[in-house]
Amino acid sequence: MIANTLTVILILAGLVFFAAGTAGLLRFPDVYSRLHALTKADNVGLGLVILGLMLQAGGPADILKLFLIWVLVLAAGTTAAHMVAQRTWTHGEFESDR
Amino acid sequence: MSGLLLVVFDLVLLVGLLGVAWRCLASTDLFRAVVLFITFGLLLALAWVRLEAPDIALAEAAIGAGITGALLLVTLERLRSIAVERRRGRPDEPPDPAGADALLHALHDPPPPRRTFVPALTFALVVGGLMVTALWHQPDAVGLEPVVDEHMGVSGVDHPITAVLLNFRAYDTFLELAIVLIALLGAWSLGRYDRLPARPAPGPILPGTLRLLVPVAIVTGVYILWAGSHAPGGAFQAGAILGAAGILLVLARPRDLPMAPSTPLRLGLAAGVGLFLAIGVIGLFIGPGLLGYPPEWAYPLIIVIEVAATLSIALTLVALFIAGRPAGDDH
Repeated sequence: MIANTLTVILILAGLVFFAAGTAGLLRFPDVYSRLHALTKADNVGLGLVILGLMLQAGGPADILKLFLIWVLVLAAGTTAAHMVAQRTWTHGEFESDR
Repeated sequence: MSGLLLVVFDLVLLVGLLGVAWRCLASTDLFRAVVLFITFGLLLALAWVRLEAPDIALAEAAIGAGITGALLLVTLERLRSIAVERRRGRPDEPPDPAGADALLHALHDPPPPRRTFVPALTFALVVGGLMVTALWHQPDAVGLEPVVDEHMGVSGVDHPITAVLLNFRAYDTFLELAIVLIALLGAWSLGRYDRLPARPAPGPILPGTLRLLVPVAIVTGVYILWAGSHAPGGAFQAGAILGAAGILLVLARPRDLPMAPSTPLRLGLAAGVGLFLAIGVIGLFIGPGLLGYPPEWAYPLIIVIEVAATLSIALTLVALFIAGRPAGDDH
């Protein structure tokens, strides 16, 4: 019961970060601040969702796998954000669609 | 309560799939279409998860969305560099509506003005109506599940999907492997390897991440291959993960990556089809028929075929991504 309540609270909190990150991606003016918003969603939002799911996991192996997923997304997300930022730094902003 | 939520989720997923598919097909901007195609692949993987087919979801996410998406993006980049080069060659000529300028325009095209939806809507209604009528009169078939369950004992493996793919319907899987190989031969017949237009990113971050991700991908690939005998997984999924690791390497270091030696590469590419066919033909002579196995040998034979198929699929995906025969291989 307590675990279920905690799971719901943690995942909802994670979803708030995802929503904020998405809003930031859509509304922020330039590439750097968009990336800033996006990485918050990836890191904290996914972290909270994973933490919530860990409370429902079947055993230590599942908990470890969930943790591994979070670490891998952190590494991949950081690298992708770095590369987008670096390309913007050297080549300027991407062409605007509007 | 949770049943209702799942129905709502399924409906949202369905509408999302149809919407993204429509936007992808209707887009005149090629880059936007590719991004929408990748999104479509990820949503489709979710749909497979909801249909309780995690095997296909894995393959769809890795091959359909990931590797095909990367292939399409590289193709766009190549098309753009070809178009820019052609136009630079003849700066004085007037713009050619069917040539390089049209290509450049299509690569980044603003959406066209909104047109009437009446023909599309009529078409969708007619086709949708036909599909609903066709589905309405389905006989109450139980499917092949009982038959497969009954014969699991002789399949040599514990997972029904692997049993179907590599034993009961080995013919299908063999032909799939052959098609993948023929696709690569087709790509190789078109020309030699030429360098990707991508530049290696400066700085230590990308090589550092690769050092972390590639070993993890190899372990995951081998685990998924091994898991295939008793849980969702198998050669195609494992091959896709290993192939993705290879593509990451190619993308990150296009300059100093040594080319694979020609003979081992060819042997590896053909190993899946070759071993599968060899074992299948032996089955023809010793009793169980073409592509059949004696039950007591089924498990080791399936493992051998799966390992060879994984290697071939991974190599083929990377080779297709590089596109073209290895450099220095002119004969």
